[in-house]
Amino acid sequence: MSRAVTLGLLLAVVVALALRCPQLDERPMHNDEAVNAIKFRTLLETGAYRYDPNEFHGPTLSYLTLALAKFTSAPGFVDFTEARFRVLTIVFGVGLILLLPLVADGLGRWATVVAALLTAISPAMVFYSRYYIHEMLLVFFTFLALAAGWRYTQNRKISWALLAGAAVGLMQATKETFVLTLAAAVAALVLNTLWIRKVAAPSGSPPCKLCPKHLLAALGVWMVVALILFSSFFTNAAGPLDAVRTYMPWLHRNAGASPHIHGWSFYLERLAFFHTKGGPVWSEGLILGLAIVGIFAVFARKGLQGANADFIRFIAFYTIILTGIYSVLAYKTPWCLLNFWHGMILLAGVGAVALVRWPRREWMQVSVAAMLLIGADQLAKQAWRAGVTFAADRQNPYVYAQTSPDILNLVDQVNALSKVSPDGHEMLVKVLAPDSDFWPLPWYFRGLDRVGWWAEMPTDPLAPVMVVSTQFHTALDVDKTHVMVGFFQLRPQTFFELYVRSDLWHAYLESVKSRQP
Amino acid sequence: MVNAQKHMLTNISSPVLHRRLALCVGLVALALSPVVATNSFADDAAKPAVAKGMKPLEIKLPPPAFVGTPKDAPAGTNIEPLSDKPRPLLIVPDDVVNLAPGKTITSSDTNATAKVLAKLTDGLKETSDSTSVLLRKGVQYVQFDLGSVDEIYAIVFWHAHDAPKVFHDVIVQVSEDPGFKDKAHTLFNNDVGNVAGLGAGTDREYFETNEGRLVDAKGIKARYVRLYSQGSTDGRMNEYTEVEIYGRPAK
Repeated sequence: MSRAVTLGLLLAVVVALALRCPQLDERPMHNDEAVNAIKFRTLLETGAYRYDPNEFHGPTLSYLTLALAKFTSAPGFVDFTEARFRVLTIVFGVGLILLLPLVADGLGRWATVVAALLTAISPAMVFYSRYYIHEMLLVFFTFLALAAGWRYTQNRKISWALLAGAAVGLMQATKETFVLTLAAAVAALVLNTLWIRKVAAPSGSPPCKLCPKHLLAALGVWMVVALILFSSFFTNAAGPLDAVRTYMPWLHRNAGASPHIHGWSFYLERLAFFHTKGGPVWSEGLILGLAIVGIFAVFARKGLQGANADFIRFIAFYTIILTGIYSVLAYKTPWCLLNFWHGMILLAGVGAVALVRWPRREWMQVSVAAMLLIGADQLAKQAWRAGVTFAADRQNPYVYAQTSPDILNLVDQVNALSKVSPDGHEMLVKVLAPDSDFWPLPWYFRGLDRVGWWAEMPTDPLAPVMVVSTQFHTALDVDKTHVMVGFFQLRPQTFFELYVRSDLWHAYLESVKSRQP
Repeated sequence: MVNAQKHMLTNISSPVLHRRLALCVGLVALALSPVVATNSFADDAAKPAVAKGMKPLEIKLPPPAFVGTPKDAPAGTNIEPLSDKPRPLLIVPDDVVNLAPGKTITSSDTNATAKVLAKLTDGLKETSDSTSVLLRKGVQYVQFDLGSVDEIYAIVFWHAHDAPKVFHDVIVQVSEDPGFKDKAHTLFNNDVGNVAGLGAGTDREYFETNEGRLVDAKGIKARYVRLYSQGSTDGRMNEYTEVEIYGRPAK
């Protein structure tokens, strides 16, 4: 790899970190992040993990968090912060850039650098790198599998086959939707092979024939990795079977038994052009447009000097098929777009280089490059907006069922009350919300030792502190034993009332008064 | 050397050895006793005093049930009606009118110009960029100067009500003193935590609706009217759409 390419990749890493790392603690924990964090707590404190086939995805997120915690001498769970969790997904988000040298001879050196920079500045990539959920890990392991597969085709070394197998095992142990990626990759491989045989002469070296022994070894490694992780390192015999059983509830969800049923354009709307009343305009149209150029370039075989057309064509088939699969599936949550979006970014790298090379005159090439740089600058600004300024705002296309910042006011109030309460962190708190719609409060109340959680109104709801969903339509202060301190927004249109026993509230007011100058 | 040391040890008489061992054990026990005592004391301090034959009732609390991604409420959804009962009518003298239009309006947010604040009395009560006044975050107020001491019967105000939201620390005061240091009367105060420093309120927080919030002023005599707030459940900025002050000149 030349020095210029290396510097380009390093610059991309620096830019990626600069956009992903700041103010990691600011955005309140999403429902899913908090669920993942509390599930991790069990692993951290008891060493136990049990895969749940009905929900909550695979074990890699928890185990990798544990590995990072051990590596960094993490404190006890109560002292964990949002940033500590989100660092893990940042590592994998930036890791996508570090994998690019494995495919530099396939994409072309300069397309690799452009793809690295686009990965660094894509608002979707930046936003979800800062989200403690499984998606970024899945995208990373997917790319690792594809890259290892590509390396295998170039030299037929079994080590690459084994790495690809391990990566697929990690994909499976991360998220159930890996089957979609696998299907797209296999379909793309078949299509590409047919294309090479029937339409175009192969570029570069002849197509590599897969050694059956190597394939079997790779499959074996896949199975072993998945077995180890789903069985929780051989402590849960049902885990590997659950890894297959899991598809029943997911099929059920896609058939309509889910609040996340959206139209085919759900993802593309967010990527191409998104604007809500009073908010800024969002668009990753630059990447989309360059990806289309990249697809055109590979099928027209123009502007691909130094690249491998067969590899790029495979990525094109894979990305188009995966985009189609995700668009057709009724069940959609916005972070799922990362899976096909990464393919688009690789193609955009190819498209950018082709676009710059097509004009014959140098001044035109420079002009195209300058315009692309202006577009990249705009994209980087959007990335900052997405990750920081609008991180919890519904005007951000990537925000979905996000916890409102107002809930932190509730948390601060309850913590302030525990400091005044004679029971301290053993102050009794009752949280009541239908359908257990109280997340991420279990994360925020992790320092309190006596918190009860109800999905229905219990026969005795009273406690020194009660956090009650407004959907219960209660007035627990009617007997004047408690004060209704205020409303707090969990998410748009979802609110809590905070009730505090009168004596505790007066003690709190006295403590505030005594602190005032 | 080793043999000499061994010889020295075996040469010490048994009673002396026992005394020395006992001394060592005693010293160690003495050194550890504060730690043991502290822990015991701490344990005792944590446990409530309980009479013989009684015990603290241990209530097992249910843990939180895990749930999947919640539904994302779509933008622009209509506000659900929070009450199907209309606001009861307030009965006032028949010469009471809205005194607010044309009056001098000021604000604690010095960025809010007179032109912007004039939107509060333009008669437009729907929340939009063109009809709303945005004040900075923190405790902020808007103040009306009625020009003379008037009898105020009702103050009706609308914060932003384009989505379900609750404004915090809403306080309504009237006074004959423009600085509100002398003879300031509080008509409404849901600042339960005394954040604004004007006293802990006893009124409840409420959801904003297109009805606005009506505060019964009961004919109180005042020249100045102040409305405070400190952000909402939707964000830290303060937003007003319209203010109406119903009264008549004082007799």
